[in-house]
Amino acid sequence: MALSRSFVLGQHYPGTSVVHRSGALVKLVSTIVLMIGVFVATKTVQYLPIVIFLAVGIGVSRIPLRFFARGLKPILFLIVLTVVVQLFFTPGTPVWQFWFVRVTREGLELAGFILCRLVLLTLMSVLLTASTSPIELTDAVSDLLKPLSHIGVPSAEIALVMSIAMRFVPTILEETERIIRAQVSRGARIGEGSLVVRMKSFIPILIPLFVSSFRRADDLAVAMEARGFRVGSPRTRYHARHFQSFDAFILFGTATALSGVILWRLFL
Amino acid sequence: MSIELKNVDYVYDSGEPFEYFALRGISIHINDGAFVGIVGRTGSGKSTLVEHLNGLLFSTRGDVVVDDEIVSKERTVLAKVRRKVGIVFQYPEDQFFAETIFEEVAFGCRNYGFSKEQVDESVRKAMNAVGLDPERFLSLSPFQLSGGEQRRVAIASVIAMGQKYIVLDEPTAGLDSGSKLAILTELESLRQTANVTVILVSHNMDEVAEFCKQVVVLDGGTVVFQGSTDAFFRDADLVDRTGLELPESYRLAHALKECGSTLTVNECSTDRMLDSLKLCVSDLGGA
Repeated sequence: MALSRSFVLGQHYPGTSVVHRSGALVKLVSTIVLMIGVFVATKTVQYLPIVIFLAVGIGVSRIPLRFFARGLKPILFLIVLTVVVQLFFTPGTPVWQFWFVRVTREGLELAGFILCRLVLLTLMSVLLTASTSPIELTDAVSDLLKPLSHIGVPSAEIALVMSIAMRFVPTILEETERIIRAQVSRGARIGEGSLVVRMKSFIPILIPLFVSSFRRADDLAVAMEARGFRVGSPRTRYHARHFQSFDAFILFGTATALSGVILWRLFL
Repeated sequence: MSIELKNVDYVYDSGEPFEYFALRGISIHINDGAFVGIVGRTGSGKSTLVEHLNGLLFSTRGDVVVDDEIVSKERTVLAKVRRKVGIVFQYPEDQFFAETIFEEVAFGCRNYGFSKEQVDESVRKAMNAVGLDPERFLSLSPFQLSGGEQRRVAIASVIAMGQKYIVLDEPTAGLDSGSKLAILTELESLRQTANVTVILVSHNMDEVAEFCKQVVVLDGGTVVFQGSTDAFFRDADLVDRTGLELPESYRLAHALKECGSTLTVNECSTDRMLDSLKLCVSDLGGA
């Protein structure tokens, strides 16, 4: 239970808001387009259309801001590292100098720019995965890959692999905790001592975990075949999705935000 | 020297709207050298209780006392308590990771800093205690054994550490009846020869009736009975109320009593019940 709480990136936050109810494919496409938009921008101010759109999305979703803050935590180190590197190692006009440490105007600008980029990308993906159940999301990925099945990409199978993987994340976390309890009872000290000792202490957890995962995969394959699953045969869906008015709004907003960024970059 | 729980509560999500009492006011006393059963229906708090005994969980209120030591999060205390209380979890063979059975069984001993000779001796002793020939098994991989043998190796890997108290959570689940009986018999002889206290969590009432002298009965996170196993199974109403089943032998005894028969059977195990029944019947035939 303790482990499962610390992962927010990719976690679903159930709700009934319009963002939750709109189509997963639409949200996925919108997220991808906005991510492209983030990389199109060359100056911090050009993020503005995306920021506005994302802020509206987050507001309407009624997912607490705390949840987004927790989503940023895992990449905090990455953010700090890149910002620090940009801040101190960008050549240009110095604004502050102490001994050999020098902060330049260009460095400040670049650091702010990168910071915004990373935060925006993370918030987008948190909003997507928080407002969309994993099953809907894999269906959306499968839809997105469908055109590729004409050239031999097994899109339905890829989606299935993804959904099975996600289905088993909580199971494996639980299993991990179970194994940790058992090994601790046998006097194991997990994550203590020098680096080598610490790494060795994970072996008694990882191996049983692998063994049980393979066993589980085998059982699952047999169970699926027993219920008539065959690779490559067409499948239907239990929940069919239809285009809704809010989907249109998302697509419109996304297109507006992207064109806003492009126009800003080209003409201002 | 004993294990004692004093008015122990354990609350999941304490203080939050979903707080849930897994254990409520648990007070039990387990004497040294006893063979105690912990029984109760699914969700009655057995596993939660067990995890308190070696400091995997800590009580929300109340004290868990192991040999005069109050279990707490403090490192030295925790180390001492874990050194005394070993737990064999459900399906313990799921924790195997070593290449050979020797390494598997030696894991705990090495963690507690046994010398090479001590490790060797403890591993052999433990293998003998669970009825596996060390010469034949120690160099095999634990993964190539049968289910019953794997379970025994897993139990050996705990008893090798030589702890005073061994807690077993459903050690016979999923095994054939021969292995079940053998494992419990081995635990009983370990109790007698090495003066180990055995705490058995089980759903199998026949097992409990045969091996446990005392029993702690949980229901809804509280202790509803504590005392002699025989006294518990004689109270058929209480057994029924706690969602448990009578052992075969007690069922027969109750049935005989109900139809006014003067036949008496030995309730302590199904085998002995049958023997005593045969004896009675042959007496009748002779008369």
